[in-house]
Amino acid sequence: MNSMPSDSASMSFVDRVVVPGDHVLDLTGMANQTIKLGAGLRQDGDAISVMKAGKLRISKPNKYWVESSHKRYVPCVEDTVLGIVVDSKFDNFLVDIKAPMLGLLPVLAFEGGTRRNIPKFEIGTLLYVRVVKANNTMNPELSCMDETGKAAEFGPLKDGYMFETSTGLARMLLSSPPCPILEALGKSLSYEIAIGLNGRVWVNAASPSTVILVSNAIMNSEFLSAAQQKIMVEKLMKRLQ
Amino acid sequence: MAPMEVDRADGRTSNQLRPLSCTRNVLHRAHGSARWSQGDTIVLAAVFGPKAGTKKEENPEKASIEVIWKPKTGLIGKVEKEYEMILKRTLQSVCLLTIHPNTTTSVIVQVVGDDGALLPCAINASCAALADAGIPLKYLAVAICCGLTGSRSVILDPTKIEEKKILAFAYLVFPNSPISVLPKGSLTEDSEPIEAGIITSVTHGAMPVVDYFNCLDRGYAACAKISEFLRRSMESQAPSDLTKTT
Repeated sequence: MNSMPSDSASMSFVDRVVVPGDHVLDLTGMANQTIKLGAGLRQDGDAISVMKAGKLRISKPNKYWVESSHKRYVPCVEDTVLGIVVDSKFDNFLVDIKAPMLGLLPVLAFEGGTRRNIPKFEIGTLLYVRVVKANNTMNPELSCMDETGKAAEFGPLKDGYMFETSTGLARMLLSSPPCPILEALGKSLSYEIAIGLNGRVWVNAASPSTVILVSNAIMNSEFLSAAQQKIMVEKLMKRLQ
Repeated sequence: MAPMEVDRADGRTSNQLRPLSCTRNVLHRAHGSARWSQGDTIVLAAVFGPKAGTKKEENPEKASIEVIWKPKTGLIGKVEKEYEMILKRTLQSVCLLTIHPNTTTSVIVQVVGDDGALLPCAINASCAALADAGIPLKYLAVAICCGLTGSRSVILDPTKIEEKKILAFAYLVFPNSPISVLPKGSLTEDSEPIEAGIITSVTHGAMPVVDYFNCLDRGYAACAKISEFLRRSMESQAPSDLTKTT
């Protein structure tokens, strides 16, 4: 079995849109190699096949994933997300993070948390949390601390306004270098923003009209290119004056 | 033996399908949605989920799929329940149920227009909606209706008037044709290539076995075309490359 043709053929599927059922990688020629599969791919016998429609991406040398944007979120470890408290139990808060299962936030997962100073979150509180454990069979476990145990901006978000977007827009907003829309808005307005990889965005500013302007600008910028985003922000600023 | 040309009311040949159109992400609140139309038969499908929890009689080690069929007019009766059951069984064989155990995915199908071949249109719409919602799938299901006329010739995608006049018809559902790096025919199951498998077959009326196999061949060839159309529609609606900066 000649491995070279299948290698060059799989290169031709990278950056192409693939649909469920496509076989994108042939494993018969790769006996001793390790391949890392990300979202949207699975092993089907001797081939890697696609589970979700999207663009196939590769990160050399051996990481493959399908990039797609949806309204629901699949939890991954080390993601930062915005969750809403649904219930509180004896040792966990139940938090909705737009995933197939509810997330569990241990009541002690706060900086300096002990049984005596458990925070009291009402139902509906918005929290900025980090995903600690995630696999398909269990409820994802969350935390309001970073790895070293510090609070580091995690915790409840007060005031402001939260809106829901797709996961693709959230990834674009979190990309580095900073997204053009956030930079352009930041040049003329001052606002605070928290972006969750699960497609929730929280915006806070001194006046409600600024909050509305920033939220609407972000929601409209999903399918615009960088130049179009800058033009849109310029037009909005002109209308304000 | 040359196939006998049939005179169809709208001027199509026996192998010709009605114009297809597919739009995804049409509903704002649904997690995935698609509107599929074949001529005047239009179906809107919405997908919600996966959501935690399964019903009592479902297996909690797998995801479960719930289908609700809403007709254009009238109350829900036995016909709708039968469609729900066929759609549920078809989607259960298309989805990867072990990825998210103990969850429920709801598929709601709303009939907007009915002009023949309603169930295949609904299956196509539901599959497009499941792909839009990001539910993990083994492959996409592509469905078609093949009718057998009195003169023993096969017509594809009959309209409602044609459905009343033909002897028998079959709804056939096949997996979509994948693009693959593997040499053709290498994935086999009992010495048949997987791509030539069939997911669902529902027949009405009586037809000889030879004609049924004829329907299968024609249907399989036409499904390759529908599968190509579905792939192009997914490519054109993919979001633009967000990482490129101009």
